[in-house]
Amino acid sequence: MSVLKLFSGEIIRLVKYKILPVGVATTAIWVAILYFLEPREELYLAPMFIFIDVGAMSILLIGASHFLEKQEGTIKSLMVMPVTKREILISKTAASMVLALESAVITAAALYFIHKITLNYALLFLFVIIAGAAHAAIGFVLSLIGRDFTSMLGIMAAYMFIFTIPSIFYSVGLIDEKYKYLMMVSPSHASNELIRAAVSGEYETGLIIAGCVYLILLAAVLFRFAVYPMFKDKAVRG
Amino acid sequence: MSVAFSVQDLRFKYPSAKEDTLKGISFEVKEGEIFGLLGPSGAGKSTTQKILIKLLEDYKGSVKYFGKDLKDLGKSYYEEIGVGFEVPVHFSKLTALENLKFYSGFYKSKADIRELMERVGLWEYRDKKVGEFSKGMKVRLNFVRALLNKPRVLFLDEVTNGLDPKNARIIKDMIAEYRKDGGTVFLSTHLMNDVEQLCDRIAFCVNGSLVEVSTPRELKLKYGKREVKVEYNENGNLSTAVFSLDGIGENEEFVNLLKSKQIETIHSGETSMEEIFIIVTGVELNERTEAV
Ligand SMILES: Nc1ncnc2c1ncn2[C@@H]1O[C@H](COP(=O)(O)OP(=O)(O)OP(=O)(O)O)[C@@H](O)[C@H]1O
Ligand SMILES: [Mg+2]
Repeated sequence: MSVLKLFSGEIIRLVKYKILPVGVATTAIWVAILYFLEPREELYLAPMFIFIDVGAMSILLIGASHFLEKQEGTIKSLMVMPVTKREILISKTAASMVLALESAVITAAALYFIHKITLNYALLFLFVIIAGAAHAAIGFVLSLIGRDFTSMLGIMAAYMFIFTIPSIFYSVGLIDEKYKYLMMVSPSHASNELIRAAVSGEYETGLIIAGCVYLILLAAVLFRFAVYPMFKDKAVRG
Repeated sequence: MSVAFSVQDLRFKYPSAKEDTLKGISFEVKEGEIFGLLGPSGAGKSTTQKILIKLLEDYKGSVKYFGKDLKDLGKSYYEEIGVGFEVPVHFSKLTALENLKFYSGFYKSKADIRELMERVGLWEYRDKKVGEFSKGMKVRLNFVRALLNKPRVLFLDEVTNGLDPKNARIIKDMIAEYRKDGGTVFLSTHLMNDVEQLCDRIAFCVNGSLVEVSTPRELKLKYGKREVKVEYNENGNLSTAVFSLDGIGENEEFVNLLKSKQIETIHSGETSMEEIFIIVTGVELNERTEAV
């Protein structure tokens, strides 16, 4: 019950603090771009757009809402309510999932309405949730490490440099295909591969399963050993 | 009457600090009393409150809440206590009413939000965003938030800081009523006014230690000088004379003065709580600079 109330509170705030509207606006930009593309290009770019929303926007949004709350001291006020820190974290993660799913739903709808492209929606939904959970965990870690929003952006840039840029190099052929399993170590790349698989319907099963397992484990480990203890510590002081 | 809090040899050190912030303090808060924790800035008042509301956990010593170890209490503890933080905390983009409804939704026991808001004069501003509130309005809303669950124990940190005298009066009346209805209050402040008007007992906290636990009355008896100061006109100049309050009716010099001189002012000079604060803590009050 508490989780539901916390979750609806998170969603209301994401709207009132203009975070969700900004998320929808970026997706709208993707849709506008898709409108002018050929179907073949779309199938190539649509997964990338979804990935940007799941893998980068969601980190930004978690950071923005974290530092807003820190500034207003409201995390502290939640800590003296009859709710547990676990419930608070679950509701925040679920709220960030809404952002990721919103992007997937709008993009998939755009593909259908513009070029009548259909895809495996259940698979896309599942993969977005998995990639979203891992990136929510990463978003929390980066936010909790950062002193303020600016320093968090710096840390995020470093993160993208290490994990996201190589994935882009790989997809444009700058990195040899023999490294495809090694590349999956990058959460960005693993997420990107999953979303691409769901949208295009073409994938190597072993690689995709490895990606799913890895992202789920990563999310679990980060939440249990990094996010939860750091959140406990920071929420009090923030 | 039972004991709400029993604190024994409480020690606490912030991870980043060099020495202990709380250096072994012991006190009891009895059920149904207003207990004031008083002391100069940086003494450790807010830190003590944060420990009692389970925000800070790695403390040494024992804290018991109605006989149970604080460390064994789960989230149900928060059904029973209300917390007013030092700096008001609200969602600034939500309205006052939206804020209160959000918080109230988590409690089993719910106070009447409208009644509380009317009482502190905020009902007419219920649909205004808290970000557009004045400082005093935020302070009042912060106080209402602390009462949302009809708490058994109320924690208030600098509760009247930033309020005009009229609103400070309203809040103090509400605290006094809350106590009359059986509530227990833990009040930390450096405002002597609050303490003198509200507290049943006071603990002075200086530099992480308690130096004196007493009642306002006892303090006055212990530290107070009982005297009368008379200012009178002597050939166009202002003169002053001081007499002991004891046996003042038989004090000829005093009576003669009243008869023969043109009196300008008479003050009974009980030592003010403010002076007692300075005597006990050895620290000058500096209220103005503390306003956030
Ligand atoms: N998060 C923190 N980390 C490190 N030190 C802290 C922290 N919070 C407070 N302190 C230190 O602990 C001491 C006690 O602070 P505390 O806030 O309890 O004082 P206070 O008595 O409430 O003062 P005031 O009247 O100014 O509110 C101060 O020296 C302060 O600098
Ligand atoms: Mg304080």
